Amino acid sequence: MDILATFAMQALHGLVYGMLLFLVASGLTLIFGMMGVLNFAHGALYMLGAYFSFTILRLTGQFWLSLIIAPFLVGGIGVFLERFLLRRVHKYGHANELLLTFGFAYIIEELVKWVWGNEPLYVELPKILAGSVNLLGITYPTYRFFIIITSLAVFAILFLIFYKTRAGIIVPAAVSNVEMVNALGINVPLVFMALFGVGSALAGLAGVIGGPYLITNPAMAATIIIDLFVVVVVGGLGSIQGALLASFLIGELQSFGILFIPQIAIALEFLLMAVVLIVKPEGLLGEKA
Amino acid sequence: MSKKSFRWVGFAALGVFLLMLPHLISEYRLNLAITMMIYSLFALSYNILFGQGGLLSFGHAAYFGIGAYANMLLLKHLSVSLPLSILAGGLMGGLLGLVFGVFVVRMRGVSFALLTLAFNQLIYVTAEKWRTVTGGEDGLAAFRPSLHLWGWEIDLFETINWYYFVLLIVVICILACWYFTHTPLGRLNFCMRENEERTRFIGYNTYGARLIIYIISGFFAGIAGGLTSSFQDFVTTIFINLDKAAEILMMTFIGGGGTFTGPIVGACALTYINDLLSSWTERWTLVQGLLFILLVLYAPNGLSGLYLSIKNRYMKKQGRS
Repeated sequence: MDILATFAMQALHGLVYGMLLFLVASGLTLIFGMMGVLNFAHGALYMLGAYFSFTILRLTGQFWLSLIIAPFLVGGIGVFLERFLLRRVHKYGHANELLLTFGFAYIIEELVKWVWGNEPLYVELPKILAGSVNLLGITYPTYRFFIIITSLAVFAILFLIFYKTRAGIIVPAAVSNVEMVNALGINVPLVFMALFGVGSALAGLAGVIGGPYLITNPAMAATIIIDLFVVVVVGGLGSIQGALLASFLIGELQSFGILFIPQIAIALEFLLMAVVLIVKPEGLLGEKA
Repeated sequence: MSKKSFRWVGFAALGVFLLMLPHLISEYRLNLAITMMIYSLFALSYNILFGQGGLLSFGHAAYFGIGAYANMLLLKHLSVSLPLSILAGGLMGGLLGLVFGVFVVRMRGVSFALLTLAFNQLIYVTAEKWRTVTGGEDGLAAFRPSLHLWGWEIDLFETINWYYFVLLIVVICILACWYFTHTPLGRLNFCMRENEERTRFIGYNTYGARLIIYIISGFFAGIAGGLTSSFQDFVTTIFINLDKAAEILMMTFIGGGGTFTGPIVGACALTYINDLLSSWTERWTLVQGLLFILLVLYAPNGLSGLYLSIKNRYMKKQGRS
């Protein structure tokens, strides 16, 4: 029973981290997976979400308010990044995008240290999320269930948009043939800008939710960014279900890896990424190019 | 004076300048110059892939790092002479290039960048966790041994001696890189960048060629890593981390991958700028970030690209009048 409980607990830890990872990576699935922009500033945008939420909470004390406002602000910054910077260098290729977003991430990280300091910040949760729940004999913090539920809700919404609506069809069409979609009377640059904004807003939302769980600190962008690319690549570029599956796998891999083989646990995800790229370059659930 | 003899005069002047340098500047500046030279070699090795081969690698720090660790381990445990251990660092870089290259050179574009990134992280994690060999986050330290040549003992801790030692190795390697770009394989590298399918159609084995080129690039990165570790008498995981992988891309990009000398210009410029900024302001990464964005926006082909386009415009104006 004891071993079983440990197993269940570990699986739950892995699930929570995996779901948070999906929440952050869902935005990158749109930006990198669908649009093909190597956006290394995604982690920094996620971090900004956490810090904005901290300040909004400090000013108003309303967690739910920050859950709405912070993603909007971060989405706005994402729109700025796309409209005034990335759009101008897109024609020069991946290296330029990579360097530009790297520079942007540097700036955000340094500004965060400047404005909020180097110390980790603690966020007080609303009463309804602060306690813990008793489920089948396991006591677990309510907030972690909240993470899982939000993540699944975001997945459901994205899935419905991209597979069941007309607007969702436009995006992959515009990616595969810009001129044709343009000729059909759709403003493709606007679509890309909006998509980038939504992706950034998702990063901001993930920051609001992830901040209290992983502790808001200036290194949170750098620690998560590689995991995000691993998720998007392993899941398959542009595949939302793939990102969910890959996030789940990586969460559990880290959780059980630390339990059984702590020496090489952190290497597992990179090994997974390398193997997927070599054996199945389109990713677990990606479509063949 | 013809253009060719003008060029030789330029080379001669540069050679005299580099040989005289220790007597012209302070010791602090001399150390900066040594850093510039080593990073010039690192950037050149990177540019064999990036500028000449058209491949965006995001994991070149792995080869730099393994060269550094190999050099430190040999100095520490086997007390090998320095030139040999640095050469061994290069060979380890080449060997790692062979092991990873077998998989990597099949990829193109984003897949190439991401697979090199994954491999880089694997090496990074290995260096961090394999404590018994690498010392983990604490790193490894080993002092530069003196050089024994024909009964002479040269103390490499003397900055001037160390400068000439690094200069000699870097110049040999840079000349080797330059020679490589003019060999048939070096030309093939450009060819594959422009149109790989056609190159294959003519009858070249592009996979084999790319693999050899990848190994050569890893070799020179390993030499640069070995030199850096001996320069600092120390190696840690920061030799392999993501920032290092990004730094070398930035140096090469800033200088411009389109010309042979571009990466050298970029390595010197970025080393100098970083030194300047870190003495000016505590928030230098902020300025650095701004600088990258401005460069990407206004000099998308690097400083050498900027120079060429200004020169072209100037020539056109002269032609008209």
